[in-house]
Amino acid sequence: MTAVLETITILTHAETELINITPEVRGIVEKSGIKNGTVFILSRHTTTGITVNEGLPDLEMDIAELITHLVPEKNSYHHARFLHSDGQNAINAVAHLRGALLGFEVFFPIENGKIVSGDRQTIYFVELDGPQERKYSVQVTGE
Amino acid sequence: MIDFHTHPVMIRELYDANPDFDRIVNDVFGFHFPPQPLEIFLREMDAAGVDAAVLLPLDCTTAHSCKIPSNEVVADLVEKNQRFIGFASVDPLLTEAPRQLERAITSLGLRGLKLDPALQRFDLTNRERLDPLFSICAEHAIPVLIHCGLSWAPLGQAKYAHPLPLEEIAQAHPSVNFVIAHFAWPWVNEAVMLALKYRNVYLDTAIIFSGTPWEAFEQVFQKNIGLLTLERSLYQQIVFGTNYPRTDMRRSVRGIQQVGLSQSLLDFIFHKNPSHLLKLKQEAL
Repeated sequence: MTAVLETITILTHAETELINITPEVRGIVEKSGIKNGTVFILSRHTTTGITVNEGLPDLEMDIAELITHLVPEKNSYHHARFLHSDGQNAINAVAHLRGALLGFEVFFPIENGKIVSGDRQTIYFVELDGPQERKYSVQVTGE
Repeated sequence: MIDFHTHPVMIRELYDANPDFDRIVNDVFGFHFPPQPLEIFLREMDAAGVDAAVLLPLDCTTAHSCKIPSNEVVADLVEKNQRFIGFASVDPLLTEAPRQLERAITSLGLRGLKLDPALQRFDLTNRERLDPLFSICAEHAIPVLIHCGLSWAPLGQAKYAHPLPLEEIAQAHPSVNFVIAHFAWPWVNEAVMLALKYRNVYLDTAIIFSGTPWEAFEQVFQKNIGLLTLERSLYQQIVFGTNYPRTDMRRSVRGIQQVGLSQSLLDFIFHKNPSHLLKLKQEAL
């Protein structure tokens, strides 16, 4: 079995933002040369998410608005204090909780060198505490 | 909108240019998270609705043998982007401080003086060292921003940062505008007292001590001071500041917008007062 790992760096623009990373993931799978196996996509952060949905701007807005509504900013959170390990005021509990709702990873099977997915499935990196420099890793395993 | 209180220290390009910067920032300033590209600083401003940011350096030569960062670095950042407004910092304990300040203003084009007695470890009653600096500020009509109150920096000592000695300074230099950073929390009453009495004493809003920005503003503005006091007596003497990146700009802006201040006062805090201190054309901001 072969395993190929690539880490992609992106600069996000907004506090909440869905970024279509499907072309990048497909490119890494094709470049890996692996014909049959699995691709794993993992965010390297705890205030982001990885999700899959239909690639439409209206749905992107709906997802962003839903997670914002589900985890409102004006609420009492434990994670709202000076964080000595960072030297920062930790005031981003909402970003952590929104990330927990979305999840941080997805995977797809690979067959004949291509990702096996529905026609409308789009892979999103979801920024939840931007703008920031962010990383996600793509691991392709198989033969 | 102007953010009057930012620290240009977690910028990747500064780390690339100075191999010792990481150690200095960790040990002295106490930031322990990854630096970000300069572009992210600008995007954070965009996301928060901040048009311009005051960049504050800090000269800790005597106390900690470092500058975080230097006046030259700030001037370079300002030259690269017109949305930055650079302040100077000098070490008052050095005999060459007045000459350095003069050069920072005239040669580097810096537009204010930043002092942090808690981290620079000088006494605000040391008038022999401080008066020549404030005289230069008066001559060039530039404001002075002084850290007061709690210092999150691991080597900062709050005993140097009580605001009361500023009364004599404000009396001695009536033409100099002094900005008390952080509302001097926890010495908010003393800081407010000075601002109430002296028209040349201002307060910046970088007061996050616990909780979210909204919760901190609610505690200090609503419960400690009272919104009416801010609206009636201090509307021309408060400037918006975030202490970025100790606190993010976005949530600081929303926090102050949600605390119940009038739109008129928010306009003074975000636009008019900082523009007045920096002698900017308000319509541009």
